[in-house]
Order: sequence, then C-alpha cells, then structure tokens
Amino acid sequence: MFSNVIIYSVITAAITVIVCFIVSTLLPGIERKYIHARIQQRIGPLVISPGILAPIKFMFKENVKVESPVPGLYKALPIICFIVVTCLLIALTPQAFAIPALSSLVAIVGLLKVEEICYVLMGALSKSVMSVRMPFPDQIKGAAHNNSNRSFIEDISSRRSLRMITYGSFPLYLALFAPITQSRSIFLADIVAYQQAHGPYLFTVSGAIAAIVFFIGYMIILNEYPFSIIKAKSDVIEGPYMEYASKYRAIVYLTRGFFMLVLGVLFSVLFLGIPPVITSVNILINILVALVLVFMMGIMSAFSPVFTNRQLLPTILGTTLLGILAIALGVL
Amino acid sequence: MDEKVPRSKIIETEIPMGTVHPAALEPYRVRFFVEDEIVQEAEITIGVNHRGIERIMEGLPVEKANALTEKICGICSNSHIWNSCRTAEIGLGIEIPERATYIRVIMGELERLHSHFLYLAHGCEVLSHETFSMRVFYLREIVMELLAMIGGNRVQYGCSVLGGVRPRCDLDEAKLLRLKEDMDKIEEGLTGFANRFIADSIVMSRITGIGVLPQKQAIELAVTGPTLRATGVARDLRTTMFEYDNFDFNVITQPDGDVKSNLLMRALESFESIKIIRQAIANIPEGKVINTDWEMFDTDITESYIEVPRGTLYHSYALESGRVRHCVIRTPSMANIGAMQYACIGDQITDAQLCIVQCDPCFTCTDRAIEIIRR
Repeated sequence: MFSNVIIYSVITAAITVIVCFIVSTLLPGIERKYIHARIQQRIGPLVISPGILAPIKFMFKENVKVESPVPGLYKALPIICFIVVTCLLIALTPQAFAIPALSSLVAIVGLLKVEEICYVLMGALSKSVMSVRMPFPDQIKGAAHNNSNRSFIEDISSRRSLRMITYGSFPLYLALFAPITQSRSIFLADIVAYQQAHGPYLFTVSGAIAAIVFFIGYMIILNEYPFSIIKAKSDVIEGPYMEYASKYRAIVYLTRGFFMLVLGVLFSVLFLGIPPVITSVNILINILVALVLVFMMGIMSAFSPVFTNRQLLPTILGTTLLGILAIALGVL
Repeated sequence: MDEKVPRSKIIETEIPMGTVHPAALEPYRVRFFVEDEIVQEAEITIGVNHRGIERIMEGLPVEKANALTEKICGICSNSHIWNSCRTAEIGLGIEIPERATYIRVIMGELERLHSHFLYLAHGCEVLSHETFSMRVFYLREIVMELLAMIGGNRVQYGCSVLGGVRPRCDLDEAKLLRLKEDMDKIEEGLTGFANRFIADSIVMSRITGIGVLPQKQAIELAVTGPTLRATGVARDLRTTMFEYDNFDFNVITQPDGDVKSNLLMRALESFESIKIIRQAIANIPEGKVINTDWEMFDTDITESYIEVPRGTLYHSYALESGRVRHCVIRTPSMANIGAMQYACIGDQITDAQLCIVQCDPCFTCTDRAIEIIRR
C-alpha cells in the first residue's frame, strides 16, 4: 500500500514536470512574438521558434572546442542548471510536501543560489575568441600599454554574477520569505494550507507589496532587460553563455523557458496557495500566472534600456526596502 | 573630465573588444584599460577594412574615379561622389545648373536624415532599448525609399556627375509631391519619437552626463561635425557652401558634449534638414540638370570640403590628361577618433561602446585614409 503511494506520487510528479516542461517551451516564443514584436510593430518569430525550433536546430549542430581551463565542468553547467530548475519544480509539487527538507523555503533558496553560482562559474571558465590579443597592434611600439593584464569579457560577467548573488537577488529572497509572516512556517505545505484556509497572501497589503518585489526579483534572476548586466549586448555580449554551442546552447534555451515557468509556479504556491496538481484544473492557474509574469516582464523589458551600476544599485536598494516593508507589514 | 588620470598611475587591466562586436556596426577594435569596471584609457585600432581606394583611383579617368568614390561608404555614398565631382568642377571651373544644385542639396539632406536616423537607432540599440531603435528604423525606411526613388538604389544612390546630376535623378512633379508628403510623415514621426525619448526618465538617466567631451578638448582634438556642435561650437560648413546660399537653416548646437547632447543634436538637426528639403521642393528652379559644355585640361591639386552627416569631408586631387593624380580623401571619423577614445574615460565599461558610438564612427570609410608620418 505504502509503496503504491510512493509510486503514484513519483509518477504524478514526473507527469507534472513533463507537462510543465512542454508548456515552458512556448514561453520564450510568446514573450518575443506577442509582446516584444507587437510593441515594436514587427512580425516577430514563430511562437515555437525560440523555445522549440531553436533548441532542436542546435541539438543537431556540430559542437565547437571550448577555450576553457575546465571544459568538462563548463559544459556540465547548463545541465546542472536544468537539473536545479527541475528539482525546484519537484519541490513545489504537493507530492514533495511529504519531504520537508525538499519542500521548504530554505531548500528553494538553496536551489536558486546554485542556479546563480552556475553563472559565476560559466563566466569564470569561459575564454572566448572575442577578447583575444592582436599581437602586432597591441604590442607594437606606440601601443597604449604593451604589458597590460588581459581580461576576458566573460570575466566581467562572472564578477557581475557574483555581485548579483551578493545583493542583486536580495529582493527576490525577501519576497520569498514574506509569506512566512502569515503562515509562521518555512514549509510549503504549511504556507499552502494557511492560504487555502485564510485566502491568498497576494490579496493582503503585505502580499501585494511582496508580489511587486517578487516580480522585480524574477526579472533580475532571469537576467532580463533592464537587469541583464551579466549578458549586456553593449559590452559582455552573451556573457556566461558565450561559448555554448550545439546541444549545450539548446539546453541553455530550454532551461530559460523552464525557469520562467517554474518561477511562475513558485509565485502561485507562495502568493496564491495553489501548488501544481496535474490532476486538477489548478495547473491551469499555475500556467496562467507564469504567462502573466512573462507578459509583464516582456512589456517592462521592451521599454527599458539595460541598467548600469548607476541605475541598478538604487533600484535594488529601493526594492529591498519595499521587501522589508512587506515583511514588516506582514509581521504587524 | 579635465583631471584625467596620468597613464603611469593606472592599474591596467585590459579588456579588448572587437573587431567583431554586436555593439559596434563598424570593424574597429578597442582596448579598454579599466579599473573596477571604470574605463581609465581606451585605444582604438582600425585598419582591418583597408581597401586602398585612393590608390585604385590613381590614374583612372576622372569620371570613373568619381563613380568609385561612391563605394567608399555605404552610409554617405552620395556625399563622396558629390565632393569628388565638386573637386573636379572647382578645378575645371564647371558651372553647375541651379536645378542640379537643388537636387544635390535635397540628396545631401536626405542622406543626412538617414545617417542621423541610423545614428539614433544604433544609439538606442547600444542602450539595449530595442523598441526605440525599431521605431527610428521605421522612420529611416521612409528616407531610404525616397533615396531609392531619386537615386535608383537604397545604398549606392549617388546622383552627382561632372557638371550636375544624372538625368534619371531629375525630379518631376510626382516625385516632388511624394517628397513633400513624406517630409510631413517624417516630421510627425520624429516629433513623436523625440518627445517620447526625452520624457523617458530611465533613458535620460542612462545618457545624461555620460561620455562627456568638453568643448576645449573637442577643439584640441580637431573634432568635426555634429560631435563638435554637441559641445557647443556652432561650426557647420554648410554655412560657407555656395550650394546652401539660397537656404535658410539654423546651426544646431548642444551644450554638454555628452551622449544626451549628441543624440538630441542629431534629432534637432534632422528637423533642420526637413526644413531645407521643404525649401528646396518649394523653390526648385526649372531647367537642365547637367552642364556638358566644359573642357578637360590639366589642373593642380584641387581641394574641396563639404559638410556631410558626420562632419567635414575632404577630397583633393590633380588632373593630368583627364586622369586623377595625388588623390587624398579624409573622412570625418578620422578626426573624431581622438574624441571617441577620450569620451570613454571615466565611464563604466557598459557605457564605453555608447561613448564611442556617440561620436558616430564610420571606420569603413576611414580605413582607406592615408596617414602622414612626420619624422
């Protein structure tokens, strides 16, 4: 009997992951086709192009030799990111509520931190051709500096990723912990149960403020404009992803779409008290919430230039204060 | 900006970018020497697109050489062929029909519009504001179609020939009407864009006080064109060109020499170009568009300077038996490289490409310039 329950839970969680993954492949296309392209008055790509066709195309492309001191680890990092996002989704399913170590906010934060650390490692381990020295013009007499220490542009994105870990993603974590002020528990089961009994946290003053903070944190962790300093086209180009080609780039694309959806599901769980249940109509609410967040992000990013530190620091500071306010209101 | 850090005190970490970089439309390579993501010094290297056009021009019949100058630049192709013809016309004393002069001015100003729109769109793209960038590109599209209507092509649309303009570039009533209508569309679109752009506080915070080039420094570096005028210097060669004698326009200046001043400079200058084109449409005289009544003879080196979208363009050559000798061409970007290197200093590396772009580089043209080394 007990083993049947376990098998049923595993199968349900697996189906949830598969369904969510399939839906997530459409999100990047929806963002680009129906938001960015519409705002910019152009046709845009096919909806299935960025999330489905592009990864398929990359899967069958020839790989390039990576200029990295640890190529094995560098190539493994997108796979690790994908696994982390999958674990995050599993942690949010009701089936995982039976494992408190996995379905707690501490575990969620830990998994998100692993995701962030991966960007630091990707940047640090990439040495692409974009920053190579040109021996003759760089070292000839008359060059500005003959013996300077060369840095790769991926190094900049690595340092920026580290900066984002230390303070950039702080608003998101504040928003994640804000629901605790109501449920008085870090376990997702308790947070969901409290909201099912007392109504969604989103519809309180504290919850509404925390939702705004969550949204800004969502954009920061997804490296979307205007917060995409780790992959700004104006300087570091693709940043940590620079040298990923072939199937590794395909995984990067798939992970991004999947991460968008999982963060939407996370919002549903923490702010609406609706976990992803594949056998219930509630899964549609999870997907709808993910879509709403994608729409909002698309609109915001289409009308914003990329931030530099001058704009980023005040924004993060302001959002952090807002997050603290949400928690303070929740406690009161 | 005047208190520039001495080179010896700089902690040197070099971040090279280019020659291929998505923020740069041109093939140049820049080495940024940075300290904590703040650029302390920059060095631009060009030369990867050297085509030796001046060398190819040596000994060519002047008509062929003129046609070749159109290939120097894909953005200001008309300006090059115009100035090259103008050089020979000054040397040979050829009189240009007034109608042809008007058509040259119209083409010159249309080219200025498309170049400035490209600049604005590229600036927005480097800011990573794709929506603004796209909207300017749509405006530019109207200008490109007009250039194709008059010149026959979207890129190589030069209309000047020795003694006037090509007969196919003559403007009939239908073309003049379309020009007039499209000027209204462009003005409306540009006004809307400029208002939105200025009202966007996030964009303003990204571009205000960034890439400052002080007026004193700009003059010392012999900066030219809108980049110079964005530092407050009212110097525009069009005020001295006989082609513009019959036109009323203002020389636009901006006070600060930063990215904001440069972007606004181009936008405001575009309104002046629209004004000039409207005057040309209203007052274009009847008559022939080419003067074929001239004789070829040998000349000394003749020089011609005109104001092109990016600054002062210089062409000079001598004529021997109808062939070009000692040809020298100097494009505005050659003079503005110093400004590009200077403008980056003190700004964050994210803004560095923007600081270069604000000086409107066109290195594909510049790469064929001759450097004179004095020993």
